[in-house]
Amino acid sequence: MAAFDPQQMIKSLPDAFKKLNPATLWRNPVMLIVEIGAVFTTVLAVLEPNFFSWAIVVWLWLTVLFANLAEAVAEGRGKAQAATLRATKRDTTAVKVSGEVVSATELKQGDEVVVVAGEIIPGDGDVIEGIASVDESAITGESAPVIRESGGDRSAVTGGTKVLSDRIVVRITQKPGESFIDRMIALVEGANRQKTPNEIALNILLAALTIIFLVATVTMQPMAIWAKGANPGIPDSLALTGDGVSGIVLVSLLVCLIPTTIGALLSAIGIAGMDRLVQRNVLAMSGRAVEAAGDVSTLLLDKTGTITLGNRQAAEFLPVAGVGEQELAEAAQLSSLADETPEGRSIVVFAKERYGLRERDVHDAEWVPFTAQTRMSGVNVGGREVRKGAATAVMKWVRDNGGHPTEQVGAIVDAISGSGGTPLVVAQKDQVLGVVHLKDTVKPGMRERFDEMRRMGIRTVMITGDNPLTAKAIADEAGVDDFLAEATPEDKLALIKREQEGGRLVAMTGDGTNDAPALAQSDVGVAMNTGTSAAKEAGNMVDLDSNPTKLIEIVEIGKQLLITRGALTTFSIANDIAKYFAIIPAMFAAVYPGLDALNVMRLDSPQSAILSAVVFNAIVIVALIPLALRGVKYRPSSASKLLSRNLLVYGLGGIVAPFIGIKLIDLLISGIV
Amino acid sequence: MNRLPSWIRQHLAALRAVAVLTVILGVVYPLVTTGVAQALFNEKTDLIGQSFTDAEGNPVGKYFQSRPSAAGYDMLATAASNLGPEDVVDAPGKPSLLTQVCARSVAVGRLEGVSGARPYCIPEGVGAVLKVFPDRAVSVNQACPAQPFVSAYEGVKVECAKPGEDYAAGRTVPIRGNATAVVPPDAVTASGSGLDPHISVAYAELQAPRVAKERGLPVERVNALIEQYTTGRSLGFMGEPAVNVLALNTALDKG
Amino acid sequence: MGWLFILSLIVALALVYKPLGDYMHRVYAGTKHNGVERVTYRLLGVRPDTEQRWGAYARSLLAFSIISIFFVYALQRVQDELWLSLGFAPVPDHIAWNTAVSFVTNTNWQAYSGENTMGHLTQMAALAVQNFVSAAVGMAVAIALVRGFARRGSDTIGNFWVDLVRGTLRILLPIAFVGALVLVAGGVVQNFVGPHEITTLTGNVQNVTGGPVASQEVIKELGTNGGGFYNTNSAHPYENPTAWTNWFEIFLILLIPVTLTRTFGRMVGQLRQGYAILAVMGVIAVASIVLTNVFELAGNATVPQAVGAAMEGKDVRFGVANSATFAAATTLTSTGAVNSFHDSYTPFGGMMTLFNMMLGEVAPGGVGAGLYGMLVLAVITVFVAGLMVGRTPEYLGKKIGAREIKLASLYFLVTPVLVLIGTAVAMGNEAGLAAMLNSGPHGFSEILYAFTSASNNNGSAFGGVTVNTPWYDVALGMCMVLGRFLPIIFVLALAGSLAKQTPVPESAGTLPTHRPQFVGLVVGVTIVLVALTFLPALALGPIAEGLF
Repeated sequence: MAAFDPQQMIKSLPDAFKKLNPATLWRNPVMLIVEIGAVFTTVLAVLEPNFFSWAIVVWLWLTVLFANLAEAVAEGRGKAQAATLRATKRDTTAVKVSGEVVSATELKQGDEVVVVAGEIIPGDGDVIEGIASVDESAITGESAPVIRESGGDRSAVTGGTKVLSDRIVVRITQKPGESFIDRMIALVEGANRQKTPNEIALNILLAALTIIFLVATVTMQPMAIWAKGANPGIPDSLALTGDGVSGIVLVSLLVCLIPTTIGALLSAIGIAGMDRLVQRNVLAMSGRAVEAAGDVSTLLLDKTGTITLGNRQAAEFLPVAGVGEQELAEAAQLSSLADETPEGRSIVVFAKERYGLRERDVHDAEWVPFTAQTRMSGVNVGGREVRKGAATAVMKWVRDNGGHPTEQVGAIVDAISGSGGTPLVVAQKDQVLGVVHLKDTVKPGMRERFDEMRRMGIRTVMITGDNPLTAKAIADEAGVDDFLAEATPEDKLALIKREQEGGRLVAMTGDGTNDAPALAQSDVGVAMNTGTSAAKEAGNMVDLDSNPTKLIEIVEIGKQLLITRGALTTFSIANDIAKYFAIIPAMFAAVYPGLDALNVMRLDSPQSAILSAVVFNAIVIVALIPLALRGVKYRPSSASKLLSRNLLVYGLGGIVAPFIGIKLIDLLISGIV
Repeated sequence: MNRLPSWIRQHLAALRAVAVLTVILGVVYPLVTTGVAQALFNEKTDLIGQSFTDAEGNPVGKYFQSRPSAAGYDMLATAASNLGPEDVVDAPGKPSLLTQVCARSVAVGRLEGVSGARPYCIPEGVGAVLKVFPDRAVSVNQACPAQPFVSAYEGVKVECAKPGEDYAAGRTVPIRGNATAVVPPDAVTASGSGLDPHISVAYAELQAPRVAKERGLPVERVNALIEQYTTGRSLGFMGEPAVNVLALNTALDKG
Repeated sequence: MGWLFILSLIVALALVYKPLGDYMHRVYAGTKHNGVERVTYRLLGVRPDTEQRWGAYARSLLAFSIISIFFVYALQRVQDELWLSLGFAPVPDHIAWNTAVSFVTNTNWQAYSGENTMGHLTQMAALAVQNFVSAAVGMAVAIALVRGFARRGSDTIGNFWVDLVRGTLRILLPIAFVGALVLVAGGVVQNFVGPHEITTLTGNVQNVTGGPVASQEVIKELGTNGGGFYNTNSAHPYENPTAWTNWFEIFLILLIPVTLTRTFGRMVGQLRQGYAILAVMGVIAVASIVLTNVFELAGNATVPQAVGAAMEGKDVRFGVANSATFAAATTLTSTGAVNSFHDSYTPFGGMMTLFNMMLGEVAPGGVGAGLYGMLVLAVITVFVAGLMVGRTPEYLGKKIGAREIKLASLYFLVTPVLVLIGTAVAMGNEAGLAAMLNSGPHGFSEILYAFTSASNNNGSAFGGVTVNTPWYDVALGMCMVLGRFLPIIFVLALAGSLAKQTPVPESAGTLPTHRPQFVGLVVGVTIVLVALTFLPALALGPIAEGLF
């Protein structure tokens, strides 16, 4: 989806008008004040009509409208997605195990239903019987079917998805009307959007600023009346009469001072943040979770699938003394020809790439498959007996055959284990030929990602079931900060609690039922969509792509959300400086001519100065809508650097931009007013 | 007393705290300080300035004159003038600060036989201030029938101020003129304390010839005394050099 | 020479910074009680080893302050019945209320003239006592807030009575005693002489009066109180006889507010955080002092131009520069003592004194009050800046969430609202307008100054304003009470809320709050927020007066 489409603005206009209703607007106190001001000035303009007053009135209304537009555009994008989702949510019927046919909406938790090929699964649940391929494109956008079967970690099915083959029995786990799709629709629409903690805090600060400026503007009135009275020789002006500053000008000043820019864009920023996650196929169950993602200081990453490719591959053949590399390679290849495990395939590939050994057809071979008892596999062919497997198992086999493995074998094996690899000993009858070094390959680019994380102040912890030695080696290679080896679900939970006690926020991914407690305990728990319903329930985000690496992106989106808010708040407040320089001389230079020195922009007339400030104030909202929706640019770096950059752009920029903007508008309108 | 509700206990503690601390800080501390201070140090006698005028308030010629005082050197009513830097328009019975400055300058000049002229002042010793209207200007501190200090301002005629007329509507324009002041600043401004014991060295030197003449002393002798009673800057950089008028006059009286 | 004067103050403060800051840390962090303190606690009926939650701390503080107000009020009302009254009548009720509130709130606004209103006993036992304890209260609140930052997962923030007693007896009293003797050596009087007449050289009669001035003068500065024994305050030769006592008094004013930043750094276990806060205060203070000097020395206004120097309301021994430095120091802190009269300052010089107070007196501010005010500003800065680095903002490891920002915002709201509403009400009614001595924008500045001074607990004035009227005594009294205790309640609540938190460990993603970047940011936020709040009012007062 394009970051921003001007057409959306036009499409959202009707919604923007609807939002003028004060009953909706009261959630946004800053804009409510602007609307009250707009109503007040409208009344004043009706009573005493002139061009200047009406121009101000129009622009005040536009200010409110632009704020509503920002929100409407942000919501509009979600609505489009919700519409797509809704299309899949057709009225379905469900066949209970008892044979009873009911509407899908009447299903309760614990009901068991039968779904056969071609039918839509009527609600979220777990497969308790059977196996089926399921089309989940409705929610993931991924057209390839997935397998769902009873038991294990692939038992969860989602209502609204379609069974393509076979027959399954599903136990419904959702409450009526709270299906995953229902929640998704609600989320992307922002229907029951609740303010997040930081948003609440920011709103409080904005309210305080609004109160201050309200007080500053209102209390100015008696001072102005007195000043005018003390200078009886000064004729009344449009801005200042014996009754004080005119209502129109007073409201203009107030609207220019209160933080309307951030007030107008705040909710759009929040909605857009959620939206950015949705675009990456991540569903956050609450805005709070998105915000927490920005705060995460510890990332727990599963080794397999996240950090490494998850399959061990042959990386080296290490022969014992007296055996040639070529000889070992040949034996290893031979023993693996029928081995269809990824490890076995990788040995064949490696032998071919490195030693030029082609795959060959072996006749009359007796393949010895791997079993949990023997822990080795191999082949008996033409009198040769070749085995490869776990060191202890193969060495025992050699001894049983009367051989005496040398010390060297043990040394090689230990070295490989120490470096994080998996040693596979290759032997022929009573002689150990050497060792195959199987390596779990770290995904390309991971080290850079982790360095990036470190610069952002995030600690990465690798979780693995490997022994500490292996774990350490991979951790070193990948460049994570820490690792948890031989991890059980309990260890994981304990680690999370320990981190949290130190005040850290922890993010993790998980998919299995045994991950559920840890997912629930972590501050940001991203469940894989392929995972169990228990995992999805426990986490506060679901990754529809089931890509654990995405956690890193989620963190960045969370940060970007907060940065956008902070940057626009700074911009909004910094803007006020220029507006004062426009409006104060416009109000008071008549009484105290010296104050004209403050008119550093040399604005044409008091009226054009005030109108320019109001117009700028409104236009800047529209101009910043794209930025609010897209989020400010985020490049991972240290807090200090980020701050410097954002201060320069939004702080200094916020001070300078309105001076230029107001002057330009003044040049345009000075002839008219 | 532990039976009392805690909010009462707190107030009791507060009450006792005020009592105990008042005894320590309000009685013991000042008394001990007084005892030690009087045992260790002698009180100085020339800290407070006084006015060297006769019963009618006219300067007595044989004495160096102190600075103007808004308090009349009354220690029971110390005060500063508190008039603002743009207080330039006289009100009936309430001369502006500018006019006070101008008047003092003229008076000192007359007493010491030098020019009393100052910027923004006219020779009569009032502030040179116009109230400018679109069609005329008024020298607002010069009541009719005085001759306005300028005849025209930016093309409009300058009139004298008619008593009782309200000129508030005019724009206030002080006119600098081209005078340079001879009378030093401290001679024409009221001090902060109203009891300033000091004058500047410049003001003392301005007065020296007159005092010498009145007392029949050589000016050199008077100047030597001025130097003797001049306190330099503390440690060479704090404050300003100042002449203690009371000490100087006392020394003169002693011969 | 004026620059050397400023520089020497900085050097002197730098010399005592470490020892005094560390000493204060030991005072407040220590667990032992000395003999005098143990007796005091027994007399008070408090258990010094029980800690208080923020609510209890606040209630103790308020109870103590309320009783203090009653006591100071009562003593003024019956002074004629007691010793050392010097024959003065009871202080009129509205002035007595105003004075009681003024001294208990560390404002020391004076709607009376000391030399003809207050007997020696009232000065000593009512006013000077509050000079000590109101300062100790401010320090206690600051320490409580710092504890909030320093503690982890704690429900309590200290014991008010212990903080009060230790601050008074271990910090203020010893320094005051030594300082008083230094002042006496410089010529400040310390006796029990009442009003009497002497004959001048020309044979006229002059009224003179003495009193226990030095013992009160020293704590007036040290506790950033500012209530002079005499009406003309530190301009009076009996309070401030020489150029070097003037230097010493400015030093005393800045002493505790500056060094408390070291105590803060020690308590949170990161000295550099204390240096950062000190740097913020230092940047603002030095800029303000220098600007005040520049404006006063330039003397850009009609009368100073006519005079040839801005000498109106200034004494010769101090001169323009040292007077300006005193004026800046007294308004940058909550002192309000004056050695020259701000009302007669040049428009921009006078505006600096106003603006210093509008900053909330945070650079370095009143004893304790400056530190907690600055920390609140740091919290607000951290909030906006923290968002810009993509995290929930945190300061010293404590998250600045909705509750914290609510309390910080409320704190920040109180004084501007009081100042602006107070000024507006005064400008809109006869009783308010009647107080002006000067006309035009300067008259307005007098009223604006009065409400700014009262609400920020400063106590200095554009002295021309006539405020010993019931209307002003009540209005300014309200500003003083609300301007002191509402912020204190919010700060203590903030302390309680922070103390409960477990600190977030620092990482590269944490906004560093000890670098020049952050220092500059706090300075910027402080100045911009205050300027935005008060610019309309300043435009109609000193700016209109200065630009013409």
